[in-house]
Amino acid sequence: MQLIIPHPGHFSALKEIIETKEAEGLKEVEEVYMAGSPEVMGSGRATLHAALIEDIKEQTAYAHQHHVKMNVVLNASCLGGYHLTFEGYKMFEWYFNELNKAGVDGVTVAEPYLIELLRDLPMETVISCVAHVDSPQRAEFFEALGADAITVDTNINRNFKVLEAILRAVNCGIRVIVNEGCLYKCPFRYSHFNLFSHITTFRASFSNARAQPLNTFGDYYFDKCISIRVRDPSQIIRSPWIRPEDMREYEAIGIEDFKISGRANTVNWILNGMQAYSSRAYEGNLLDLLDCPAELKDMFFIDNADLAGAIKQWKGCKKICEECRYCDELTSKVVGEIKK
Amino acid sequence: MKKEIGEGRRKLEEELKALTGNLFVPEAKVFEMTCGCVGFTSDLRGLQSDDVEVFKDRINALLEEISKSVGVEPEFVYARKLPGSEEVVTLTARELCERCKREFAGSKAPPRPDIMVLKKKKR
Repeated sequence: MQLIIPHPGHFSALKEIIETKEAEGLKEVEEVYMAGSPEVMGSGRATLHAALIEDIKEQTAYAHQHHVKMNVVLNASCLGGYHLTFEGYKMFEWYFNELNKAGVDGVTVAEPYLIELLRDLPMETVISCVAHVDSPQRAEFFEALGADAITVDTNINRNFKVLEAILRAVNCGIRVIVNEGCLYKCPFRYSHFNLFSHITTFRASFSNARAQPLNTFGDYYFDKCISIRVRDPSQIIRSPWIRPEDMREYEAIGIEDFKISGRANTVNWILNGMQAYSSRAYEGNLLDLLDCPAELKDMFFIDNADLAGAIKQWKGCKKICEECRYCDELTSKVVGEIKK
Repeated sequence: MKKEIGEGRRKLEEELKALTGNLFVPEAKVFEMTCGCVGFTSDLRGLQSDDVEVFKDRINALLEEISKSVGVEPEFVYARKLPGSEEVVTLTARELCERCKREFAGSKAPPRPDIMVLKKKKR
């Protein structure tokens, strides 16, 4: 089992992640990932740090000294067509070359064209979950484009037949995200990734570098997502997260790479998840581990121990909730409201 | 409380202006979070991270004074930058709940790259 750990971006955070890994002997920690420069490209998720090449180079060297790989995430879902302009092509080509010179081990992207741009570089090309690889056919397309590893769409995390089919269809590595707490089949997913892709780049308009940044009145998708779960907590249970104890089920079918999401969270939140998934066990509120619905951990308590065995049902889940209702029943048993 | 918040906002704006030049404090508020944290926070326009580093002690003292005036114990004082830039958009003094003592203020590193820690009460 290899763990891929989120890194918020500041050097002191990396040092603390690696110190904890070494102090606690967490040998499963194989790789960290951080966002690239917002001056070049946005990202599918919130980005709190603007790493310069020199910064990435220094941090990569430090990670390597401690036998940890560095991956830079450039997984915008929308580039506004800029990548297909001569100027955009030259910039992305330049940036990838600089990352390569900085010693970076891998780059995570979602845009197919960028995968082809990365082909001639020795860095590992990892496909982001933002590319929504949810079938063997789609996995084959991305492998043919040049993927060395694919982070599958979290919507198939509990669909073992599809996961097994993907593993059979491609030779590249397959990664699953363990703690994304997004809504299953979220109606906002594409729009939210697109919004982040635009607001996390300094160039609000790809065609006009001097355009003013977007002045949005709020994050509609996030607010809706939280409200939906407050009204219907069964949506928390239906989310395709993987308990630390259940990773063995994935290893049994041949998945070895487990990615923890949450690079916009605090350092200690990240360390807590790293320790839980390294030890394959967690005592406490499952919501402490989940990325995305952080606010919900102040409203609901889900004792992780109460979820033992649920994976057996989910492994064979037909995803027809109307007929099954297993998650609804489980919700009434395990989701408690925190009284204040 | 209304009076103290208003005075705090004005004082912060005036003193920061005197230290760093033109800036603006459009909003100041006292908040309580569902986790149990309470705090005083002010939005800012015009302040940069270099200013905060140079005048850290004075800003700290100001925040401590204002937060105490509104009944908030300033256990954790921090500036928040606009992600990926040097623009400081809020200054906050916060009395932390037990979980945030661990999660938000418990690391040696700043909790997030957009947070500049100005004061952390030793546990």
